[in-house]
Amino acid sequence: MTNMIDIINVKKSFGDNHVLRDVSLSVRKGEVLVILGPSGSGKSTLIRCINRLESIDGGTIMVEGEDIYSPTSDIHKLRTKVGMVFQQFNLFPHMTVLDNLTLAPTKVKGESKEASERTALALLEKVGLKDRAGAYPHELSGGQQQRVAIARSLAMHPDIMLFDEVTSALDPELVKGVLEIMKDLAQGGMTMLVVTHEMGFAKEVADRVIFMDGGYIIEESAPKDLFENPQNERTKEFLAMIL
Amino acid sequence: MSLGFRPDLLVDILPELLRGARITLELTIISVALGTLIGLVVGVCRVSHLKILNVPAALYVEVLRGTPLLVQVMIVYYGLPGVGINLGQMPSGILALSLNSGAYVAEIFKAGIKSIKKGQTEASFSLGMTYGQNMRYVILPQAVRNILPALGNEFIALIKDSSLVSVIAIEELLRRGMIVYSRTYNAWTPLLGVAMLYLCMTVPLSRVVAYLERRWEIND
Repeated sequence: MTNMIDIINVKKSFGDNHVLRDVSLSVRKGEVLVILGPSGSGKSTLIRCINRLESIDGGTIMVEGEDIYSPTSDIHKLRTKVGMVFQQFNLFPHMTVLDNLTLAPTKVKGESKEASERTALALLEKVGLKDRAGAYPHELSGGQQQRVAIARSLAMHPDIMLFDEVTSALDPELVKGVLEIMKDLAQGGMTMLVVTHEMGFAKEVADRVIFMDGGYIIEESAPKDLFENPQNERTKEFLAMIL
Repeated sequence: MSLGFRPDLLVDILPELLRGARITLELTIISVALGTLIGLVVGVCRVSHLKILNVPAALYVEVLRGTPLLVQVMIVYYGLPGVGINLGQMPSGILALSLNSGAYVAEIFKAGIKSIKKGQTEASFSLGMTYGQNMRYVILPQAVRNILPALGNEFIALIKDSSLVSVIAIEELLRRGMIVYSRTYNAWTPLLGVAMLYLCMTVPLSRVVAYLERRWEIND
């Protein structure tokens, strides 16, 4: 069985700052991968490369077997297969919740208004916000906005979901609701890459945990092994600081 | 006859001045509409990463803002016929005002587009939208809302700047006033009337702009 994502020797720098030095990683279908690491370790940049929100300086990234940085690849079509949720939600503030969910399905995929609204309402029900379909983003709490953002990504029926520190901007009491939805998604078989500082989520939900530092993947293993028996000194230091 | 202010003369010439004010408003409204269209296109080109779009757009803005509107009006009216393009008075006035306003509006659109957070574009892209779809459905609707007060101010500026087309004998408000002056030799009365009528147009508009600014602030 082919991998959903293959990252091969990827390098990326912002000027003199080498954010990704030589990163290789493969993700299987249905796998939930949590990426840990100190700030500046390159973990957010890595997942932003998977839907080409960043350019890369070397290496190859394949999504479902297709080289996404190839000039001949249809990046817009590839991006519809890869959903992404951001730290700052990035909902469209001038649209209602429902319109946030139906915009891309209708404009990008050409779905009918009725079909996209049916899907949207079903997804909003799943994230517990069906009654807020007519609300504007600024009328919602941060946790609700993030749940809408997840639903908005899911409305495109992606094969892969990327989560970039999606609970970092939330008040503590709102984090749980968002993590619950991600857990449901994982149990439903979604392929997920999750950059997070939520160790509980990593332990409970991840199939594999990756520790990054200084632009390299330092260590990768099952969550139990990584948390209870880290091999690398820097992993140990990092875990000692946050646990 | 007094050369000072004469209320009786003002009453007499008011209908004539009002006809001029009407031409001023027509000129301004058409030019604002065309200028906004030009400004939208040039502004979107300004923020493009494609050199073939942003370089000509920058040049356009530079030239139109760097030369006097009065000179532009004269080039269109007196210069273009020399290369076989004879537009006539009103179209010349409208063309010059629209092209000039377009340059200022382009800068307003550019600022409005740049004021939208990068995360909005990233969200659009991550959903598979193209640059154009992102611009049309996500960025511009938000940008327009932010720049409405600035566009209103541009409207007000254009009402005043339109007085410059009096040099090509368009009988707008100022020109009407000058016609009265040359007929009666009284400058005070028609020019005060002219100034008053400009105020009657600009003051309500600036109130509308102030209202819009306040409303957006509350919404934010």
